[in-house]
Amino acid sequence: MKGDKAAAGLGTLTGVAGGWLAMCLLVWAFGESPRAIVGQALGGTWGVGYGVGQVLSKATPLLFTGLAVDLALRAGLFNIGAEGQLAVAGLVVAGVGSRLPASTPAWVAVPIVLLLAAGSGALWALLPAALRARRGAHEVISTIMMNRVADVAAAYALAHGLALAGTVRTADVIVGARFPRLETLGLDAVRGSSVSVAFLVAVAAPFAAAAWLRRTRIGRETVLVGLAPEACAAERIPVARRTAVALIASGGVAGLAAVGPVLGAKGYYEAGLAAGAGFGGVAVAILGRGSPLGLLAAALLFGTLEQAGLAINGRVPMEIAVVLEGIVVVAVALGDARVRLAMRVRASS
Amino acid sequence: MRSQKPEQASAGADLTTVRLSLERIVKRYGALCAVDGVSLQAAAGRLHMVVGENGAGKSTLLRVAAGLVRADAGEVRVDGAPLRPHTVREAISRGVGLVEQHFALVDSFDALENVMLGAEPLASFGRLDRRVARERAERVSAELGVSLPWEARTDSLAVGDRQRLEIVRVLCREARTLLLDEPTAVLTTAEGKALYASLRRLVERGHAVIVVTHRLDEVRDHADEVTVLRRGRRVSHRANVGGDASLLEAVARDAMGEAQELRLEARRRNVGAPLLELHDVHRAPTLRGVTLTVRAGEIVGIAGVEGNGQRQLVRVACGLEAPDRGRVESAGVAVVHEDRERDGLALDASVRDNVLLGELREFSRRGLVDRAAVDREARRRLEILGVDAPDRDLVARALSGGNRQKTVVVRALGRLPRAPVLVLAQPTRSVDVTSARAIHAEIAGAADRGHAVLLLSADLGELRRLCHRVLVLAKGRIAAEFAPEASDVAIGEAMLGVSPAGAQP
Repeated sequence: MKGDKAAAGLGTLTGVAGGWLAMCLLVWAFGESPRAIVGQALGGTWGVGYGVGQVLSKATPLLFTGLAVDLALRAGLFNIGAEGQLAVAGLVVAGVGSRLPASTPAWVAVPIVLLLAAGSGALWALLPAALRARRGAHEVISTIMMNRVADVAAAYALAHGLALAGTVRTADVIVGARFPRLETLGLDAVRGSSVSVAFLVAVAAPFAAAAWLRRTRIGRETVLVGLAPEACAAERIPVARRTAVALIASGGVAGLAAVGPVLGAKGYYEAGLAAGAGFGGVAVAILGRGSPLGLLAAALLFGTLEQAGLAINGRVPMEIAVVLEGIVVVAVALGDARVRLAMRVRASS
Repeated sequence: MRSQKPEQASAGADLTTVRLSLERIVKRYGALCAVDGVSLQAAAGRLHMVVGENGAGKSTLLRVAAGLVRADAGEVRVDGAPLRPHTVREAISRGVGLVEQHFALVDSFDALENVMLGAEPLASFGRLDRRVARERAERVSAELGVSLPWEARTDSLAVGDRQRLEIVRVLCREARTLLLDEPTAVLTTAEGKALYASLRRLVERGHAVIVVTHRLDEVRDHADEVTVLRRGRRVSHRANVGGDASLLEAVARDAMGEAQELRLEARRRNVGAPLLELHDVHRAPTLRGVTLTVRAGEIVGIAGVEGNGQRQLVRVACGLEAPDRGRVESAGVAVVHEDRERDGLALDASVRDNVLLGELREFSRRGLVDRAAVDREARRRLEILGVDAPDRDLVARALSGGNRQKTVVVRALGRLPRAPVLVLAQPTRSVDVTSARAIHAEIAGAADRGHAVLLLSADLGELRRLCHRVLVLAKGRIAAEFAPEASDVAIGEAMLGVSPAGAQP
């Protein structure tokens, strides 16, 4: 255990250091001064109210998808399907949310869209969960394939009636179902940024999930199943059911990630909205190491990198931020015992 | 070093040569000090046995000596020079070889491939040279006085052969100091004797051998010298033990403090209604028609050579596997599985979670776990056998083998009020004498309270002491039934399938 922690700490450290070095080299190769670029990146993110708001806005879906991946990891599963679960949920929420009667009050509309988001994400995880429980099919493969199905399904749905004519976006979601932007609630500091009330929900979600895992019977058993499936089976804990439920719940949480961009930031769904947030969730979960504060810190870090990429785009390609993200993730993943555990070959179910 | 009597000298062995020397070794695991300043020496031509109860630090000490675990203080010296760097590789190259309790063999390899693994002799172009490897392995096993089926897949070997294979593998790497951690725990009595005969041959050829055990009869019969550990400290060291009965008693006192022999009076009363019945149960691949009945208040023993269907018998009896044919009737079973690390424990979960594994329903209301109730019950159970866990949040992995065993046993015992049947496989495996007695008393107590007990054990003495009847499981069937007073020879023959009672197709 001690060795695991040391390896994890070392992984994080080498990841950050290696990422930093690579970024400096790349910036320098583009003929710019690393110091100036870093200054600009910091200035464009945490240095100005708008930047802070944008960071929080980008961290919102990452918190949900990170939590989704984390939940699955707890049960010994690797959910790579958050990307597709998020896309489908975004599509459904926008599709239904824009068709509700315009006068629907928030206390009716908000529960409806939340249920739809979680439900459609969960639905997208249902098939991989069933395949895993019944046939022992590895969820990494099946959730990745469901991502592809979601891609095609979203494009089809947008092209066949869901998008406004001549565009790739849906109609606006009715006001009652929206999560207001913080700037409209009198928070002038983040004026112009798209951060919404959804961010606050996203921050609360990992804490709620941690309490669920710790305090409920099913949550507790899910963690135990993730740690020792054979011993749990021998003591009559329904292993297949617990893992299936964990994967479906993970899909539901990934679906909730649609709330930020669709109901908060934009107010509609368009092709490619929040693309990458699903895979980003894998990184957040690995970096967050199963603690709510860890998830929050990781989501803020990746949100910052994303926004920083935009801030420096004028002088060097924004993809430098992506390189930095990648190096951090790989280094941290190498130190993470949970990833090794979930990725080990399963003989049979 | 203490003085050694010259008559102990054997041919070719220089008694004054200390091969391996551990000096004031300290190893802590968190709050637990597993080894606390222990010194130990292995001399050429001597069989040095280390005894002590569970958690005395025996295994940790061996792992330090073999370079597997780094000590917090103290020094390991091989042939007088410090073991540096402190790694397994360095230890092996300096001639120190460890055979652990859990075999480290690759199941899908054949026996010879396992011997070669990590030290492969190469022919031209980097091809493996099986011929050279085989010659070497055969030479070593001849020295041991054993023979092994080199071409057989390792998972098809009996436990005794697997252990011999481990020893051959270590010796093939030129080990001059051999460390064995409870080598007889998985062996039958006869296999154990054969093992010690092999070890004696090695010792006579000048090897230094350290054996960790908690069987005092082995110390009496085989040790040249003995060190006793208790709770991480060295209590005593005696240079000459051989055959001295009074010394042995002193060793026993050292190891466990004062303890009286627990006598279980014969109790063949109060036997009631059948609570567990198996009728002609078939289950592929190992069970071929098992019929048995266990009644309330009765302890029924299952003797048998390992691998004759024990594991599946337990799994079928507690309902984890459904029989292919025949039927099982039971009134609810609490169980201790044979493979504690795989089927018994969630090693990375807390002791508290483990001791209540699978029972959270009883400690939850409307889906919420009542954590105070869980902790109360966990504490109550752990106190039954005095599981030595500094706190209940500790992960099970941090427990010693004996304390792990006690944890799974108290879990089954704690479940008894709700489950009338108790099925136990090797309940005292790797548990020290004092705890074994406590476990026996608990089992007997459960039967006296009217539970039905099915007890599978490799230890005939244990079966004799506890059981009303002893059934022999051979080739997936009940081959014979004995009263507990039956002779070792009769039961042993039935186990091997040679007695008339065991005659079968």
